[in-house]
Amino acid sequence: MRNLLSLNIILFLCLTACNPVNKSQLSSSGETSFKVPVWSSPFLKAYNKALFRTSLNIADKHLTGISIIKRTSDSSFHFTFANEIGMTYFDMELYRNKFKPDYIFDPLDKKSFLKVLQRDFSVLFFSFSEGKPTRKYIQKGSGEAVYMYLGLNLYVWMDIRQNTLTGLAGWSNYFDAIIVKFREYENGFPGEIQIENPRIGMTLTFNVLGH
Amino acid sequence: MKHSESLLLVMILLLGSISGQAQGKLLSPTDAQDVRKSISEAAKSVSSVEARFTQTKELSVISEKIISKGDFYFKKEKLLRWEYTDPFPYLIILNNDRIYVKDEDKENHISLQSNKVFREVNNILIGAVQGTLLSDTKNFQCSIIDLGNQFQATMVPLSPRIKETLSEIILYFNKNDYTVDKLVMREVSGDYTKIEFSDRKVNQDISDAKFIIP
Repeated sequence: MRNLLSLNIILFLCLTACNPVNKSQLSSSGETSFKVPVWSSPFLKAYNKALFRTSLNIADKHLTGISIIKRTSDSSFHFTFANEIGMTYFDMELYRNKFKPDYIFDPLDKKSFLKVLQRDFSVLFFSFSEGKPTRKYIQKGSGEAVYMYLGLNLYVWMDIRQNTLTGLAGWSNYFDAIIVKFREYENGFPGEIQIENPRIGMTLTFNVLGH
Repeated sequence: MKHSESLLLVMILLLGSISGQAQGKLLSPTDAQDVRKSISEAAKSVSSVEARFTQTKELSVISEKIISKGDFYFKKEKLLRWEYTDPFPYLIILNNDRIYVKDEDKENHISLQSNKVFREVNNILIGAVQGTLLSDTKNFQCSIIDLGNQFQATMVPLSPRIKETLSEIILYFNKNDYTVDKLVMREVSGDYTKIEFSDRKVNQDISDAKFIIP
């Protein structure tokens, strides 16, 4: 009995620690029944390709440059990130649950880092509303609706008036907790996308340069 | 190789000269030596260069291009300003042993003296400024092809540090004045970046203010 209690406490602490969402900033919507909006990643909506001014901050490394994200099939995207003078950092094909690297800048070619990056892109490119039970909250301050998908370890922020996705937060373990923010929408696509991995101190920012 | 080191390496190579890949006549070792000597002699008479540049990164896997444009300034002995204007502003200034990078509001200062790698690269830089880069047989294996109106110098890195990033550098020298028309950097990934110079002004006065590091 004592072992089971300890196990439950450890499991509870683990799940709590994994969650990157500051729940004190969420208040209950008070709604007993609500309609969950249909949403999907901006990359799944009539997206072909776009050029981004891109920066990656991790540990003592600050990489900047230009990236291109091109949809290569219904289930894949190609991501290339190079510095201002053209030297490649990343060149990879991304799928929902895997990636195929064509080139990785040597100092960043670390298995644990790439695993987190692959998970980041999986959430960014392939997330969509699924028929899972949800809870609804309200983000304090902004008033955005926040939907928590019970079986997916996923929080979704929506601007209900504009019907746009403004944020995603999810995790599959302590290290890959991710927060994605979508800002400055123009013609249905966000002008800025920021991916934060708070556990490993990584921030990846995309600003659209052109489609 | 760190990001800033890659930047410096490329700047150095840009100072040196030009190249590319095309059909032509491979020069014999004797003729190649004569061309290297001519380029070196021509470089001695160059005190400053100002030019526009267009940089094209070719992405082989997805058949896409990323194009950037800007202004290039060089002044002897070791002053360089590499200023991108499109698609967004980005500035690199090299002033003797210091490098300054400005990216929007973020500024980065790098000292050559504090870093062994930078010192090594700086030695290459001096060789480039003095027109001796093509003769750097310690770090590059160089072959020269006569293309008619240009000389194409293909430089294969021998230094492990450079080989980590670049498989070859191709410089295209204008036969008239032995200045660089175009530079191609081929990466180990298979992608390559082409930098073409235009509106070139040689030995015109460039204010030292262009090279001041804040």
